[in-house]
Amino acid sequence: MRQPTALSRRIAVAVVTAALVGGAAACGPEKNGAGASGGGGAGGTPHKGGTLTVLNRAPQKTFDPARLYTSGGGNIPSLVYRTLTTRNRENGAEGTKVVPDLATDTGTPSNDATVWTFRLKDGLTYEDGTPITAADIKYGVERSFAPELSGGAPYLRDWLTGGDTYQGPYKEKKGLDAIETPDEKTIVFHLRKSEGDFPFLATSTQFTPVPKDRDTGLKYAEHPVSSGPYKVVKNDNDGEHLLLERNPHWSEETDKERHAYPDRIDVRSGLDPAVINQRLAGGQGADAAAVTTDTNLGPAELAKVSTDKQLSARVGTGHFGYTNYLAFNPKSKPFDDPRVRQAVAYAINRTSVINAAGGSSLAEPATTFLPNQKSFGHTPSDPFPAGATGNADKAKELLKEAGYGDGLEITLTHSTAQDFETGPDIATAVQAALKPAGITVKLRGLEDKDYDEKTHSLAQQPDFFLAHWGADWPSGGPFLAPVFDGRQIVKEGSNYNYARLDDPAVNDEIDAINKITDHAEAARRWGALDRKIGEQALTVPLFHPVYKRLFGKDVKNVVISDWTGVLDVSQVAVK
Amino acid sequence: MTGYLLRRVLGALVVLLALSVLVYALFYLAPGDPARLACGPRCNPEQIAQVRDQLGLNDPVHVQYAHFLQSLVAGHDYSTGTGVQHCAAPCLGRSYQNDLPVTDLIVQRLPATVSLALGAMVLWLLLGVGAGLLSALRRGGITERLVTWLVLAGAATPVFITGLMLLMVFCAQLEWLPFPSYVPLTEDPEQWAWNLLLPWLALALLESAKYARLTRSSVLEALAEDHIRTFRAYGVSERSLVLRHALRAALPPVIALTAVDLGTMLGGAMLTETLFGLPGIGQLIVQATRTVDLPVVVGVVLVTGAAVVLANILADVLHAVTDRRAALR
Repeated sequence: MRQPTALSRRIAVAVVTAALVGGAAACGPEKNGAGASGGGGAGGTPHKGGTLTVLNRAPQKTFDPARLYTSGGGNIPSLVYRTLTTRNRENGAEGTKVVPDLATDTGTPSNDATVWTFRLKDGLTYEDGTPITAADIKYGVERSFAPELSGGAPYLRDWLTGGDTYQGPYKEKKGLDAIETPDEKTIVFHLRKSEGDFPFLATSTQFTPVPKDRDTGLKYAEHPVSSGPYKVVKNDNDGEHLLLERNPHWSEETDKERHAYPDRIDVRSGLDPAVINQRLAGGQGADAAAVTTDTNLGPAELAKVSTDKQLSARVGTGHFGYTNYLAFNPKSKPFDDPRVRQAVAYAINRTSVINAAGGSSLAEPATTFLPNQKSFGHTPSDPFPAGATGNADKAKELLKEAGYGDGLEITLTHSTAQDFETGPDIATAVQAALKPAGITVKLRGLEDKDYDEKTHSLAQQPDFFLAHWGADWPSGGPFLAPVFDGRQIVKEGSNYNYARLDDPAVNDEIDAINKITDHAEAARRWGALDRKIGEQALTVPLFHPVYKRLFGKDVKNVVISDWTGVLDVSQVAVK
Repeated sequence: MTGYLLRRVLGALVVLLALSVLVYALFYLAPGDPARLACGPRCNPEQIAQVRDQLGLNDPVHVQYAHFLQSLVAGHDYSTGTGVQHCAAPCLGRSYQNDLPVTDLIVQRLPATVSLALGAMVLWLLLGVGAGLLSALRRGGITERLVTWLVLAGAATPVFITGLMLLMVFCAQLEWLPFPSYVPLTEDPEQWAWNLLLPWLALALLESAKYARLTRSSVLEALAEDHIRTFRAYGVSERSLVLRHALRAALPPVIALTAVDLGTMLGGAMLTETLFGLPGIGQLIVQATRTVDLPVVVGVVLVTGAAVVLANILADVLHAVTDRRAALR
């Protein structure tokens, strides 16, 4: 039922890449001399007005702040929902900082970071002019516990005292005692354990205010009450066509992060990726003032675009904390022998894997599990140095020591989805990359949903498979803890600790870092922990993806932070 | 006629019922846990259990199916958290993914699908019947060979290639047409037509081949009939022969085929809708299948099935009306 098929997608991309350059040539000279630098940044002085069109593949489904699973409050959602804190809307590494949004600062922690207090700014109002209160934020957080409004990130349930059993305000009208609102402007969160990253969590849409008297439960997504610069005037087919217009009660005085230049934002989804890139390249009519927030340029498209100066000036480059890696089950043979895992780590030829992922423009080699960004605490290291193309001799030596002198045969499980992450292209590249070391890799492809279910189930997890991990915010905590904290091994449900690592020393260090509220200091410790875990060869990091996004010729003020890796629509101007 | 229609409608209901049982059965054999998917990427077992309970997935399959049938006949009341929402009969349930009523989801998407199907039908009839007629009249000549070649090329090219080529030529290179973006007919009829022109054409090029072949063979068959020869001997003009007699004889099978094709199209032209970004039934079922959204899948399959079955009945009736030799029994 999946459409288009692998073949059709490839043909489609081929046809469209042929059209990209031709289409662009027909567009004539650029109107505003847009030019993207490393982190984006199309030129020209931005002005208010006009309509920004967003051309997307995936619809903005379930546009309810309780149900959205976002990083930093999301891109489109962040136009409607303001949160206690938000991401710094700047290019590159500066954009990984957390900054105040509705709150006056990023929160005041107690000594052990188990109690966090926020004070709201003055003059905050909803789209109808009524004031935003701390009680509304408490109610917004509480709704996200309702089973009817499932879908959000798991942290609140894990972190808030009593969150593990709370069923939301529809069933438990009393509310959650862990959130206090001593007055209209103060909100206090009581946590079960120390969490220095709480200001990062407070960027998620669950921390947006929801007025209790206007909560319509499951129907809230149709007409949410805006606290941001735009309000929803149309939400067709569950987010397939979302039309946002300026919220007259939004005040720039209280919101230094969002510029909100365009008067209207027209989000059109359900489009084919090839068509999106073709439309952005062509820039006809409204497409000249269009961007995408979810569609990358593919390798073939990028190669064509690179040959055209005008088009390549309209490509923004983004980095999002993400690592693609090989996962082992170190409890099963032959991967229970560390020398076998080390042999795979030495043997891997990252150049060929990166080529399969689209080339060096779309993927950077990874030798650490943490993404190669400072905010995560990335400390350059390579516990198994073998160069870009691998060290087959060293791998053979280790295999011989482990009793596999005649070679090793293993099975690599991958998804049949045609992506550049867990799909057949990467699997085949890994297969070829390990061959010189005498490792024969058999491939086992699983249908996408089957793959997802099996890899996340402890009982069914394959012993060796392609995996990936992305950050919910740019910090080492959400990157390392779910994957290496032994207390997060999920026996029945979605497990991400594939290595089943339950090392008290690692667990204790995670707890210790979580108490640190100084992000720079915490990052340093996360980096050290990453290096320590890396030495055990529980994973083989392969690459960190790079995002290349085309934008329309009339688009100005392109900002791409390393938090999201994509163009920030709250900064874009079309005039 | 009435008895015939009643029998066909009853038969259709049985077919639809069987279809719904089949979809339910297939759904439970397919991989993917809807509760886990609806819950989100990192739900713990307790949360998944709550969502499973909320969706009614803890009930045995036959009980879930019985609830579905009950809702279909008598409607159903759903909790929205803050109140109760009534889903009137025939209630197809609520989506597991976004909790919206399936009936609403389908109704919202019908205009795009109906617009696509009807417009494409007009075009494929014009192209197909026209090409068939032309090649029958120019039999053996270069025109027939050219038409046959073009028609075969249209039929042999997948719709996503034809569609992309059309986009590339008319939108990117020539800039004669906008990149399609669905505009409802009620909002702006002119923009509705302009934006649907390429999707119509892409589908019509694919579909018109069989109509051309059918028309050609039917017209040739009709032209070889004794009474046509007699008319010709009496001096009736060739134009009149073809248009008044041969084409009329060729129409019944074309009409029957059109009704069936239209029924199928109403179930959603998935590739065309996906390629041109049309918010229709085809896109809905693709998304629902990916997310194991059973109520939506069953709802769309039933509506599609009903469209196909009704189109078949319509085809039989039209066949009988256009060709009085055929009787409805």
